[in-house]
Amino acid sequence: MNKTLVVIKREYLTRVRSKAFIIGTIISPLLILALMILPSLLTFKSGGSRHITVLDQSGDSQIYEGIKKRLEEGELSSGEKRSIGNTTFKLERVIVAPDQDVRALADSYNDKVANVSDEATLILPKGILNSQSPEYRAKNPSDMVVGNVERSLNDVLRTRRLAQAGLDKSKIDEYTKSIELVKTNPQGEEEKGIPRFLIGMVMLFFIYMTTLFYGIFVMRGVIEEKQSRIVEVVISSIKPFQLMMGKLLGIGLVGLTQYSIWVLCLIAFAKFGLSMFASQGVTMPEIPISWLIYFIIYFVLGYFLFATLYAMVGAMVSTEEDAQQAQTPVTLIIILPMLLFGMVMANPDSTVSTVLSMIPFFSSTLMIMRIAMVNPPLWQVIGSMVGMILTIIAAVWVVSRIYRVGILMYGKRPSIAELGKWIRYS
Amino acid sequence: MNVVELNNVTKRFDEFTAVENLSFTVKQGTIFGFLGPNGAGKTTAIRMIVNITAPDEGEIKVLGEQVSLATQQRIGYLPEERGLYKKMKVIDQLVFFANLKGIESREAAKRADYWLERLEIADWRNKTPVEMSKGMQQKVQLIATVLHEPEFLIFDEPFSGLDPVSADLLKQVILELKQKGKTIIFSTHQMEQVEQMCDDICLIDHAKKILGGSLKDVKRSFGRNTIILDYEGEGNFLNDDLINGKKQFANYSELSLKDGADAQEVLRRAVSAGVRVNRFELLEPSLNDIFIASVRRANGKRGEL
Repeated sequence: MNKTLVVIKREYLTRVRSKAFIIGTIISPLLILALMILPSLLTFKSGGSRHITVLDQSGDSQIYEGIKKRLEEGELSSGEKRSIGNTTFKLERVIVAPDQDVRALADSYNDKVANVSDEATLILPKGILNSQSPEYRAKNPSDMVVGNVERSLNDVLRTRRLAQAGLDKSKIDEYTKSIELVKTNPQGEEEKGIPRFLIGMVMLFFIYMTTLFYGIFVMRGVIEEKQSRIVEVVISSIKPFQLMMGKLLGIGLVGLTQYSIWVLCLIAFAKFGLSMFASQGVTMPEIPISWLIYFIIYFVLGYFLFATLYAMVGAMVSTEEDAQQAQTPVTLIIILPMLLFGMVMANPDSTVSTVLSMIPFFSSTLMIMRIAMVNPPLWQVIGSMVGMILTIIAAVWVVSRIYRVGILMYGKRPSIAELGKWIRYS
Repeated sequence: MNVVELNNVTKRFDEFTAVENLSFTVKQGTIFGFLGPNGAGKTTAIRMIVNITAPDEGEIKVLGEQVSLATQQRIGYLPEERGLYKKMKVIDQLVFFANLKGIESREAAKRADYWLERLEIADWRNKTPVEMSKGMQQKVQLIATVLHEPEFLIFDEPFSGLDPVSADLLKQVILELKQKGKTIIFSTHQMEQVEQMCDDICLIDHAKKILGGSLKDVKRSFGRNTIILDYEGEGNFLNDDLINGKKQFANYSELSLKDGADAQEVLRRAVSAGVRVNRFELLEPSLNDIFIASVRRANGKRGEL
């Protein structure tokens, strides 16, 4: 069996089986999804039935009929059917004489309303078509159901008022309909939903956070082997280079697994979840598959670049406490794009943005953002990848030479001059 | 056949010379004591034998071949600085270490189970080292060293941190390995262990070899120059030119003779001084004394036995 593979297997399995990974990868997206879906799901479920006693003092029977029609059958004035969830409404009309105190009458229903959550009273006072507000009484008067009641009332009252003024509501609806702006790019493709810069920003943050996390995992792994003195046993069986590469690849695979699960969830969500959101009037962005592929590629490249540097930090220090300080330069390089991305976002096609996104240490974050925003020319995308790959090769070469010396050195952290010596050792 | 051969091996770190011009051989089927004070260069020498570092000068052969990744596979190495993965099950770690030596997982698990039973820690098979005492962890490390059934083993300070019961168990295991024809390099500060177990020794200090050969020869070369004397009466007769020093114990005195002095002369003088001699015994020097004397001598200090 290939020795590097043995190390990869250990790194991969011990991490993928850990609680932290399962929570981080599977549970957290599920949780986010659940949080997004649950409310709408609850609306459907919580529906049940509602018995509304309408205390009608308006003297206009069409108001009651209109509400009844809308709530019991879910039909709007324009003839359009609108989803009102799966609540079944049952309306009952009590006609109240104009000289009667309608609110005092409503009070007599309070006992029933207070005890049965399906019971409600709706007061339609006289003068409702002018300025008097209707009143809705229920045990829980601000639940999801009340929105339907309010919408229906508004729709009916608007129609009745317009009719009173001698106007046709359906005509007015037609004339006041709001337009939808069609957004297209120069290729003539229409863009819908969430703006591209937002998607770019989300991808940038994901790559930033995951490279940081996984880099630190690698560093901790190196320190653990060093601190617990496992490393000498291991390198009496394999070359330090194999151990280092096994660790980098193993932890990288863990990251890739996590990304794959996320991307698959996203695709599955796009396929099955979007229609549900669309029905709720929310448009989700359409993310091209190519972006997801770039997303994964830039994560992998960014990970290798920074994880290699973190492996060096791990090999240089003896304890996690030492590492806090020693890792600062590497962490700064990772954080720098976070300070620069605003500039790139403001003007993604400027020379400065192009140059910044071509710097290997910044490419994984800034280029993915530019890809989402402006479709940079292919040579820039490929160029940034090649730049990163070359930098990774150089980093692996230098770091592996520091690593093989560092893992057997304990005590004081080496100076830059000493690191130079380590690199030159045969 | 020589399992290990070092020929004029030198290793330097910058200006510091860790091992200088070191030569020794380890014969097949023997236990070889590799001794020296802390910082003498033992670990550096061992690391070169197991191919962790390379010598600057000289040549090292292991099992008849130049040191390489291939010879590395045939060595079982228990380093002085050793450890286990904290959060990995004992059995998984053992399989991992065996995998690194090219043993396939199922076979590794089978052998691991045998050894866990043999070292009386089978109950800990599925536990993690965090839950185990240091002594138990040492046993797991020992198993990791022998699991690939190497022909040649190196134990660097195997007894440090072991309780007497575990130490005895380990000694049995080492002797058992020797009986099976394995060759063992054994580095320790505990000279009694060396006297009990080793066939040959090599003593190094400040990167250089200062003593070597078979344990018997080394002892013989230091001569029988210690006398155990139990007497009744005045001890004046001892105050003379034959004796280097005297250690008084409860029931007897231990005298070390000057070079060239005749032990019989001590006895003769005791008798003529009129003391009653209950016990007179000529002793070999202990390895402990040889160790201390040799190191002192190598450092230019007075180092007689």
